[in-house]
Amino acid sequence: MSKKSLDTEPVLRPHEYDGIQEFDQKLPNWWLFSWYIMMVAFVVCWVVYYQVGIGMSDEKEIATAMAKIAEYQKKELEQIRDDKLWAMSKDAKIVAAGAATYQATCIACHAADLTATIAGAKLPGLALNDQEWKHGNNPTQLLTIIRKGAPDITKGMPPWEPQLGLQRVVEVLAFVLSKHTQGESFTLAADSPLKK
Amino acid sequence: MTTTATKQTIEFNDKVVRQFMWASMIWGIVGMLVGVIIAAQLNYHELNLTSWLSFGRLRPLHTNAVIFAFVGNMMFAGIYYSTQRLCKVRMGSDILSNIHFWGWQLIIVSAAVTLPLGFSRGQEYAELIWPINIAVALIWVVFAVNFFWTLAKRNEPSLYVALWFYIATIITVAMLYIVNHISIPTSWTHSYTIFSGVQNALVQWWYGHNAVAFFLTTPILGIMYYFLPKAVERPVYSYRLSIVHFWSLVFIYIWAGPHHLLNTSLPKWLQMLGMFFSLMLWAPSWGGMLNGLLTLRGAWDKLRTDPVVKFFVAAVTFYGMCTFEGPLLSIRAVNALSHYSDWTIGHVHSGALGWNGKMAAGLFYWLTPRLYGTKLYSVPLANFHFWISIFGILLYVAAMWVSGIMQGLMLNSTNAAGTALTYPNFLETLTAIRPMMGFRVIGGALFLVGMILMLVNLWLTARSGKAVVDTREVTVIERNSVDNMGLKKTFFADPVTYFFGGLFLLMGWIFLPKGADITALICSLIFGGIAVKKFASSHDSWSQWYERLLENWLPFTLLTFVAVALGGLIQIIPTVMVNRAKNMEDRIQQVYTPLELTGRDIYVSEGCYNCHSQMIRTMLPDVLRYGDYSRMGESIYDHPFQWGSKRTGPDLAREGDKYPHSWHYNHMKDPRSTSIGSNMPAYPHLFTEKFDQKTLPKKIATMVTLGVPYPAMTDVEIKENAIKQGIEIVNRLKEDNLAASPDTKIVAVIAYLQKLGKYDAPEVEDKLKTAPGIPGLIPGPSNPDKNRPGGAE
Repeated sequence: MSKKSLDTEPVLRPHEYDGIQEFDQKLPNWWLFSWYIMMVAFVVCWVVYYQVGIGMSDEKEIATAMAKIAEYQKKELEQIRDDKLWAMSKDAKIVAAGAATYQATCIACHAADLTATIAGAKLPGLALNDQEWKHGNNPTQLLTIIRKGAPDITKGMPPWEPQLGLQRVVEVLAFVLSKHTQGESFTLAADSPLKK
Repeated sequence: MTTTATKQTIEFNDKVVRQFMWASMIWGIVGMLVGVIIAAQLNYHELNLTSWLSFGRLRPLHTNAVIFAFVGNMMFAGIYYSTQRLCKVRMGSDILSNIHFWGWQLIIVSAAVTLPLGFSRGQEYAELIWPINIAVALIWVVFAVNFFWTLAKRNEPSLYVALWFYIATIITVAMLYIVNHISIPTSWTHSYTIFSGVQNALVQWWYGHNAVAFFLTTPILGIMYYFLPKAVERPVYSYRLSIVHFWSLVFIYIWAGPHHLLNTSLPKWLQMLGMFFSLMLWAPSWGGMLNGLLTLRGAWDKLRTDPVVKFFVAAVTFYGMCTFEGPLLSIRAVNALSHYSDWTIGHVHSGALGWNGKMAAGLFYWLTPRLYGTKLYSVPLANFHFWISIFGILLYVAAMWVSGIMQGLMLNSTNAAGTALTYPNFLETLTAIRPMMGFRVIGGALFLVGMILMLVNLWLTARSGKAVVDTREVTVIERNSVDNMGLKKTFFADPVTYFFGGLFLLMGWIFLPKGADITALICSLIFGGIAVKKFASSHDSWSQWYERLLENWLPFTLLTFVAVALGGLIQIIPTVMVNRAKNMEDRIQQVYTPLELTGRDIYVSEGCYNCHSQMIRTMLPDVLRYGDYSRMGESIYDHPFQWGSKRTGPDLAREGDKYPHSWHYNHMKDPRSTSIGSNMPAYPHLFTEKFDQKTLPKKIATMVTLGVPYPAMTDVEIKENAIKQGIEIVNRLKEDNLAASPDTKIVAVIAYLQKLGKYDAPEVEDKLKTAPGIPGLIPGPSNPDKNRPGGAE
């Protein structure tokens, strides 16, 4: 197509601008067709989405995906018990995975050694290696705090479940529990919301 | 053609061309040097030496310098040189040429001073403060008067295609610049834009995208149409391609702005328009590339010997690559990956360095020997410049592709079941791209070296000759033989009326309610068929009308203005109407307290938006990482909006209450203490500097004028309110053994950060009560998103 126009002698327009002349070559067909295809795509896609109503809106798509995640979490949580979490804290593989997530996500506030201090300076988080707990020491209680964050977020922990996903939250908990023993004695912190 | 035999010898004003050329080279080197510095800062946060040399303040300086100082001065050099020759007349006025040159340099100097000092409007490429905005508008008018004056007294009846592009540039930049900079001053150095939230976003990217179109593209295409045929001594490939691609480019470009806001809370119909107009823009853009490259047919041998041709060919090739990549990035699914990532950075640099930078080099290597009546000092040095700059750009762009795609994939990746993010830690993705950011510094530095070599080479060239006074004998044309087309002949011609008819019907298809929309589409298709038939049968009269139009600069300019104004009007007016508190579906942003507003102004002034977005997109990975997606009403009181366009750091739309005050305190003091591996600069000066209490009442008053529902407060109450909230924050910090004074900037910044993402969900009646004094809705076209079958959920 375009080859033919190359072979024939192109028409030179009569006018000249400061020595510049212009041919008046035909528009390349492949170029025109690429343009037409885009125009047709515009009309077709618009008609399909807006006039026919095929395709989910972005809001609906998100809602569907989030509902799927909620359902998965519900199913997983139904199986989680305190003793199961303790059992996980003995599983070296799970603890190692939890330790990795802890390193990447938690040490800024709770410190790598769980003391919530670095070189003697206090970090924003609470110590996780002692026997004093603010929100209870049951693994399921702890799980809720990691998942949903502290009840008063301005003073404490953000919710981690959306970002980390339930599985990583459980692994981190297993890592923290691995520093404790089942049935150890504990005290509630002075400012614990559980103290009535 | 009616011409008298009157001959006249004219002398071109090439002094101003020389001035603009040197200014462009020098500012280009400065702007690119700043670019290399900020690129290095991304890898070495220690390079953020002081507050005024920090990334957030220097990055606007870099972008503004390269766009307005480097390309701006280059464009003026090319336009002044070619316009005089294409019109066979000296520029309209030497005084205006002088004011234009010196005024523009003064604006650049004032930008270079104010931006590092933290005076910023907080919108990309529109950061300069309002007194400078006025200066820019005035100097632009001076340029316009000078240019159109030259057209009016031309001795060449017909306007060459280069001039079409210059006309489009001048009127469109004026329109975009003025509308996007309308703001209400609160002091000599600060103002609030009259637009807010989604409206501000749309207007800003209508401006931002078309700054690329009409500041970095159309004038340079005009320069290509003059200097490329001159350099290769061949006729331009196709006149009709020039016509088709010029008009389609200026008309379609304007519509594509919303592609900067894909998957955000911008109404979907605008996103769809932005995406499809970007795709339809591909062919018109390539029309320019084809006309450039195919002009070389029969002269390809020059590519081996002439550095000017090398630069031009490489530039046009980069233009083609860039305008292919642009539509690709505008596809919503691709954009979900690329937006906020380095891919966009790579894209703009292949445009700015590859297209603009190489066109500038070609232009200057061609001009200097002619302006100084001598030969290029060193051809091998120019060739070396060519190769080092090609290598530099390719390294830069490839690094950014890898970086952008890698980080985009990591951030958007979820596990197979779609229940959790694969890389929950943002910093992990930052660490992954650090080597790429290193290659970028090297690529950019190589390009900068090339620029310096060019300056040296051309300086030695100029020294070997002396400034030429170029004169030419021209035939004076009879004034009434041209510029004699009436408005009726201009607007009531077949090509124009068919275009308007078709557009009107197409808009009916987009905006009319169900049933009527599809009817309008069918009508417009039939109408299009009739138009094509009419064109086929009266092709000659259409061409004659157009050739007549080319001999009439004012009608041509008016038609160009109409073509560029339409897209913006159709997109912006419905959005202006929708962005009212009482129109918001579910959520309305909470009004900032005086202290929070102060913190926000500091956030804007420090340029935090250069690295942090405040827009959670309607995408699962965004929602998992940052929280529920952002709603339109959640930025309704944000003057200016801070949605951002790049995530070097994480999104902050729901940062409020995510961490305790102490976290923010430590983070701002030493970002690495809370976020290991972060590349954020530390902000020690926020801990010592006091925030500005004096102008706070004026700021609140301005906000009230703009429709933000503040309760009535006296000046004293406003200041007391701010200090009281400051004391509360300081007390909280004290609990964590951290000390701050309640009137320092850090306290205001913490107050602001903790407010991010706070909203109310009031009932309709409440909404009307909280937003008094807002004019009633003009009955507008209906919203395509609401018309969708089952769409209004």
